[in-house]
Amino acid sequence: MTFLDDHELADTDPARSERAPDDWVELLSLPGPGRDEALARLHRLLLKAAGHQVSQMLSRLPAIGQARREDMVNQAADEAMVAVLGKLSSFQGRSQFTTWAYKFGILHAAVEVRRNLWRNREVPLESLAEPAAVGTSPEQLAEAADFSQAVSRAIDQVLTPHQRRVVLALLVDEVPVDVLADRLGSTRNALYKTLHDARGRLRTRLTVAGYLSQPLRGR
Amino acid sequence: MMSSHRALSKEAAERLTLAAEPWLSCDDCFEQIDGYIERVLAGDAARDPAMRAHLIGCAACGDEARSLLLLVAEDQGIDPGPALSRLTAE
Ligand SMILES: [Zn+2]
Repeated sequence: MTFLDDHELADTDPARSERAPDDWVELLSLPGPGRDEALARLHRLLLKAAGHQVSQMLSRLPAIGQARREDMVNQAADEAMVAVLGKLSSFQGRSQFTTWAYKFGILHAAVEVRRNLWRNREVPLESLAEPAAVGTSPEQLAEAADFSQAVSRAIDQVLTPHQRRVVLALLVDEVPVDVLADRLGSTRNALYKTLHDARGRLRTRLTVAGYLSQPLRGR
Repeated sequence: MMSSHRALSKEAAERLTLAAEPWLSCDDCFEQIDGYIERVLAGDAARDPAMRAHLIGCAACGDEARSLLLLVAEDQGIDPGPALSRLTAE
């Protein structure tokens, strides 16, 4: 997929141009010279969002070279461009058009980075996490171990094999949800539903067993 | 079948038992996130319990929401700090 050469328009920040949302959608929808310019502006906006996201995620990973970062940014911006144009009719002006468009650039860049970082890594699909010492006092250690062991037992007792596989990969081995979705032929949306249902089952069991008295919130 | 010798960190055990209620799907979160971020940046305390719960309970959507907030704050030339804490505040 090719878009207009951005360099010709590089002196203006697309996010700062004062265009009403209706104007963006109209310009991007109707054939004519205005559309070409709007497409180029949109692409720069998405490059900006994708670049921002890649920097956010890779700031602590200097080993990822500049060329690979740029590849990820460009790939994400192109994918986001297709997504934005495909969903243009669903933009309802509940936010600035730029904020709405940014979210596509950020999403596609985040997914691209997660896939890249896990490309050659094995995804553990059953987990035996190492013991972790938490807290300092003997009481704190005992309490944490007790709760953790109860959660571990509940995982075996009340979750289905699929729920167990998903929650351990996501929350114990910290496999990114998009990577896990790829490996399991699933989607982020479906895996989060599995996670949510599994949390509900674990909470019910731990509440009955006296480990949880009220909802754990905001942690 | 896993046996009970699996040992979880305290943090993992808490993540596993988080009450991310009320329910909101990732797709619905994505649908609403742009408007939500602008409201939070405008000073609205997060009064959307479902969005708040999702951004706490879903690591990927949470990360992307914080990133969007930072980018929009940068465009608006404002300090993202207070809005970041409002994002998942009760
Ligand atoms: Zn989500």
